[in-house]
Amino acid sequence: MKTKVKHILLFVLPALFFYTLFVVYPIGYSFNLSFYSWAGVGEKSFVGFENFKTILFGTFSGEFFNAVWHSIYFFFMNSIFELGLAFIIAVALTSKIWGRRFFQTMVYLPNVISMVLVGFIWSMLLNPQWGLINSFLELIGLESWAQPWLGQKETALTTVVMVNIWRNIGFYILVFMAAILNIPKDLFDAAYIDGAKNNKIITRIIFPLTVPTMQTLAILIFIWSFNIFDVVYALTGVQAGPYRTTDVLGTLFYRTAFGGLGSSRQDYGLGAAIVVIIFIMVIPLSMVYANVLDKRSRGL
Amino acid sequence: MKKLFVLGVILTLLMTMTMAVTVEMWSWRVQDEEVWQEVEKRLQAQGEDIQIEFRGFLPTEYDSKMLMALQGGKGPDLVYTRRLPGGRTKAMVDAGLILPLTEEINFEHFTEGVLNNITQDGKQYGIPFAIQVVGVFYNKDIFDEFGLEEPKTWDEMLAIAEVLQSNGIDPFFAPGKEAWALVMQHAACGVSVLGPGWIKRLTEGKIDFLDQDWIYMNSLLNDLKKYYQKNYMANICTDMDAAFAFGQAGMVFYGIWGAQMWKELNPDINIGYFMVPPDFEGNQPYAYVYMDGAIGLSVNSQKKEAALKVLEFAATPEFGTIFSNITQNIPAVSGAHMPDVEILKEVNEVANQYASPYVYWVGSELVTGQPSLYTDVLSPGLQAMYSDEITPAELAQQCQDALSQWYQPLINRLESLQ
Repeated sequence: MKTKVKHILLFVLPALFFYTLFVVYPIGYSFNLSFYSWAGVGEKSFVGFENFKTILFGTFSGEFFNAVWHSIYFFFMNSIFELGLAFIIAVALTSKIWGRRFFQTMVYLPNVISMVLVGFIWSMLLNPQWGLINSFLELIGLESWAQPWLGQKETALTTVVMVNIWRNIGFYILVFMAAILNIPKDLFDAAYIDGAKNNKIITRIIFPLTVPTMQTLAILIFIWSFNIFDVVYALTGVQAGPYRTTDVLGTLFYRTAFGGLGSSRQDYGLGAAIVVIIFIMVIPLSMVYANVLDKRSRGL
Repeated sequence: MKKLFVLGVILTLLMTMTMAVTVEMWSWRVQDEEVWQEVEKRLQAQGEDIQIEFRGFLPTEYDSKMLMALQGGKGPDLVYTRRLPGGRTKAMVDAGLILPLTEEINFEHFTEGVLNNITQDGKQYGIPFAIQVVGVFYNKDIFDEFGLEEPKTWDEMLAIAEVLQSNGIDPFFAPGKEAWALVMQHAACGVSVLGPGWIKRLTEGKIDFLDQDWIYMNSLLNDLKKYYQKNYMANICTDMDAAFAFGQAGMVFYGIWGAQMWKELNPDINIGYFMVPPDFEGNQPYAYVYMDGAIGLSVNSQKKEAALKVLEFAATPEFGTIFSNITQNIPAVSGAHMPDVEILKEVNEVANQYASPYVYWVGSELVTGQPSLYTDVLSPGLQAMYSDEITPAELAQQCQDALSQWYQPLINRLESLQ
């Protein structure tokens, strides 16, 4: 049966229309806006590549590269914990451990809590005077470990990263569990008959067969790490304090474009230029990264 | 059936005719909701069938949300706006997003100084609602307990801090996580320690940020941190409110708007106020006083007539009386009856007599350009200084580097020095 083009168009056009309206147009508009200076009101003034020059080499470069490094840090930490830890927990939860079903539900619970609530909960837990974490450390005699977690350079960014991991790890566990449960049971049976121990089963069967899942998740983590905003905003605010030590590209963009307390420039054009740079960084790197992982998985 | 239909139409018409006009208002001051409920009652008592729908936003998010709504042709009828001169409000005026009220409202109950904060090109763009006074608020009961008196000099304030600290009370509670509050503290200290004359010379470009006095000011604050509560860099203003209200801390650098919250948390608290003392005896202390904001009329309002009725009321001493009685803030309109609250009367008196005419935080030209002395330099800079990442001199250098990018009097000075 031959499908007529007009039938294909009939199904594709509505989706294409909305995709253009909500994805293509905003991206195109952002690219266009990045060549202007505009405070959000009044006339826009064309500045050419000035915004990009200011961000990469000018007075804004310090703040920009500070945020870039923090986004990279987010990526590495998320990769290690969200992939590594999620894999280990997923293996545990797919085995016959006691309370498996309860833990399966519990690990995903933070994922359904809104980020505003996550920010509120953790701000209370991390309060330097009466927060549960410092109180617990003091209770067990580890007073010296009690810290102003979100108030000092040494711990602020890592604390934000850890809260983010706490919130998101359930999703990665769920995906890993699906991948593990998809492995044919025969493989495990055969391995056990051959006398394989659990560690061999994990390293020789489960791990290799979940690598494609891991690759997909790694790409997602890469993209999400460079677009992170909400967790930083919820915990350290638009100022990304203390003194920008938790600043990421998302908060830098928000401050720059929309202003508000702690704003840097309040220029939509400059903000759009940041978005364009993020886009240019993430898209090609994602493609290269996906390609490398793909080749590796095929042994090329 | 026909009768029922006619009855239905008549009822609908009657309901439409008697339905009150709802005026929507947006603000960053969530605490003002009760004020507008009371205004609504008064207007209705005067026969105006107007309802006021008040919506409060987080201060950090308010400006961008309001601006985007107005720019998009939507938003409320009335908006809380910041001061003039100021980048955002000026941009709104220039873009015609808020309307001039000179022809519509009688401004006879406002002083010229207050009106300056809403005037551009000879036209008024809002109804000022409050003035704010910043300084040091202290717990009178704690001071009495240890026989302490309001300090006249910076050293006397340090002596008080020593006494409190040795008795297990945090001398100061600093919300170090909220950079704006640290800048406000710097600015409140600056008007007394540096003095209005010094700030005037700075704004005129006769001196600059590398002046020894500015570095000295930074150092004084940096040295004060030993009297802040433990782990102060992770605390926010709500922590401070609780700690001060319940006597964990003896003093806070803050604004009069905090008094309402402290009283709500602890109705028994006795709050005192003093201007930040100068570092030399005999020097005149000053208070940091600024107009908090105004209520502007949106160009997008479809209910201008009703919105103007609300604004007319907001320009009367009656409104000022409601406002100050509910919020415990000082109203911008003159002639209001202040509530019988000692702290409010005291602060009002100070505002009338000792307001610094020159400032470098809100209400100053120095924070209207970019990079701003406030949000771009002192906000992250003070946090960095308190965390020992930079020295007071380095903070001064950062101020110099940032402001010399756009502040013309400073540029002129630096050019003349070359």
